[in-house]
Amino acid sequence: MSIHDKGLDVRLDAVQRRFGERIVIDGLTTRFAAGEFVAIVGRSGCGKSTLLRLLAGLDAAQDGQIEADGQPLGETIGDVRIMYQDARLLPWRSVVNNVALGLAGRRDTVRPLALEALSQVGLADRADEWPENLSGGQRQRVALARALVHRPRLLLLDEPLGALDALTRIEMHRLIERIWLEHRFTAVLVTHDVGEAVALADRVLLIEDGRIALDQAVGLARPRARGDAAFARLEGQVLDRLLTVRSLEHRNQIRGRVSAIRADDVLAEVEVEVTDREGRRDRVVSTLTVRNLREHALEVGSEVLAVFKSNEVALAPVDGAAPASAEKRAVA
Amino acid sequence: MRETTISWQRLRTGIRRRLGGRGVLPWLVPVLILSVWQLTVQAGWLSTRILPAPWAVVSAGWGLLLSGELLEHLGASTARAASGFTIGGSIGFFFGLINGSHRLAENLFDTTLQMVRNVPHLALIPLVILWFGIGEEGKLFLVALGVFFPIYLNTFHGIRSVPPDLIEMGRSYGLRGWSLFRQVVLPGALPNILVGVRYALGFTWLTLIVAETISATSGIGYMAMNAREFLQTDIVVLAILLYAALGKAADMVARALERRWLRWNKSFLAA
Repeated sequence: MSIHDKGLDVRLDAVQRRFGERIVIDGLTTRFAAGEFVAIVGRSGCGKSTLLRLLAGLDAAQDGQIEADGQPLGETIGDVRIMYQDARLLPWRSVVNNVALGLAGRRDTVRPLALEALSQVGLADRADEWPENLSGGQRQRVALARALVHRPRLLLLDEPLGALDALTRIEMHRLIERIWLEHRFTAVLVTHDVGEAVALADRVLLIEDGRIALDQAVGLARPRARGDAAFARLEGQVLDRLLTVRSLEHRNQIRGRVSAIRADDVLAEVEVEVTDREGRRDRVVSTLTVRNLREHALEVGSEVLAVFKSNEVALAPVDGAAPASAEKRAVA
Repeated sequence: MRETTISWQRLRTGIRRRLGGRGVLPWLVPVLILSVWQLTVQAGWLSTRILPAPWAVVSAGWGLLLSGELLEHLGASTARAASGFTIGGSIGFFFGLINGSHRLAENLFDTTLQMVRNVPHLALIPLVILWFGIGEEGKLFLVALGVFFPIYLNTFHGIRSVPPDLIEMGRSYGLRGWSLFRQVVLPGALPNILVGVRYALGFTWLTLIVAETISATSGIGYMAMNAREFLQTDIVVLAILLYAALGKAADMVARALERRWLRWNKSFLAA
C-alpha cells in the first residue's frame, strides 16, 4: 500500500525483450501518464502480453528502461497489480480469503478490507463461498477485488474478459470503468477486442512486431455507448489499421499490377500480374466481395500488393499447365 | 379400504428404502457367511484346528480383553505403527518437498531414491535382524522404509503439479518463501500428499504384520505366533481380524483428514 493514491506515471524507453533470436519487444518507447487508461491491441504473438509481463515485473527487459514516477520499476512494484486472463483464484481459499491474499496483518483487520473490496465488485454476499461455486464472470470480479484491495497505482489487465460471454463483458466494462474513475490508478489493458479498447481507454496503442504501429487517442465522452456513430467510426479506424498492419508481414507478399477484374452481383475476381524474384511472370487471383472491391478503388493497371495468409492459400495440381502458371489465390 | 392400501404402500416403500441404499442390504452377505460358518463348525463338519467358530473368536477376544493382554499387544502394535509412520513419513515428506521444489536436489537424490525403491523392503528382513536384532529398532526401520516411498513419491508429484500460474500469481501478490509455500504450494500439493498418506498407512500395517510375526516379544503379530504354537486357532483368527480393523481405522482417519482439508475440492468430497 502506498501513501500516494494517484496513479503511477510510467515511462518506457527503448525497451527490448528477446527470446533467443526472436525479438518480441523491439525498442518500444511510450509513456502511460498517471491516471491514464491505455488499451493495447494487436494480434496474438505481437508482444502485447510480454509488454504487460515486463510492466508487472514478472519478466525483465534486456535493453532499455522502464521507469515509474522517475524510479526504476522495481522500486514501485508493490504498487502494481495484475489481473490475468483466468481469475487464478486459489481453490482452497474462500472468496474473501482469496481477496485478502498477500495483505499483511491479522485476520480480523484484513477481513473488513477484503469485504469492502468485494462489495465494490458487488460480491460481498458470496464472501464465504468456494471459488468453484462462482461463475466465470464472478471469479473475474473476485480477481478484480483482489487487485483493488492493495490500492494499486498501476493496474495491469491481461485480457481479463477474454473468456466471458458478451453480456458479462459489457457489465465488466462498466464495473472496471466505474472503479477506475473512482480510484484513478493508471490502467493498462491488453485485449484483442478493439471495441473493448475503444469503450474503456483514453488511448489505444496498436502493437505489431514489438513496435507501436498506432497511437490513437480516444476523445469520446464517458460513459461510452457502443451504438454511437463516433464510437463506431473510431472502432472501424483502429480495426482497419489493425488489418492493414497485419498485411505488412513482408515475407508473405508480392507486388504486381491488376490485369483483369471480373465481377458478378456479389463476388469479384481480381487478376494480378506479378513478377517473382527470378523474373518469371505469373498470375495471382484474389476473390473478394463486390462491396469490398468498391472500397479499394482498384482498376486495371493499378499497382497492388498481394498478401498471402497461410490459412487462406489453397493449392491444387493443375493438369497439363506449366507449374509457373499454377493459379494462386490471394487476399488483396 | 383406501386407508389400508395407502398404509400398505407406505410400508412397502419404507421396507424398500431400508433394505436398499445404505440400509441392511450390504450386510446381508457377511451375516449369511458368518452364520453358515458358525453352523458348519458346530455341526462338526469343519475342524476347529482349521477354523474356529466365529463365536469362539469373539469369546477369545473377550477373554484376552479381560486379562488385559489384548490391550497390551494392541498398544504395542499401534505404538510401532505410529512411530514408524511418523519417522518414515517425515523423511519422505522432507525429500518430496526439497526434490519437488529444487531441481538441484532432484538431480542429486531422485535417481538414488528410485533405485532403492525397487528393493522390496520386506526382503531386507534378514539383514535388518542381523543389524538390529529382534528389538524395536528393526521393526521401526522396516515400517519407516515402507512408509517412506508412497509419501515421498506423492509429495514430490503433488508439489510438481501445483499450477505454475497460481505460483506466479502468488509471487505477483508479494508472497515469497515460506508464505508462498504455506499459502499456495502446500495446499495445492495436499490432495496428492493425502493419497500418499493413505497408501503409506496400508504399507504400515502390512510391514508390521510381517515384522511382528517374524521377530517380536509383544504386539498382535507376536500374539498370533504364540497362539499358533499352542494351536489356538481362535486367537490366530482374532489377530488377523484385529489387523483388518486397525487398517480400516487408519484408512478412516485418512479419509476424515481428506474430508476436512479438501473441503474445497468437489472430486474429493464425492469420493
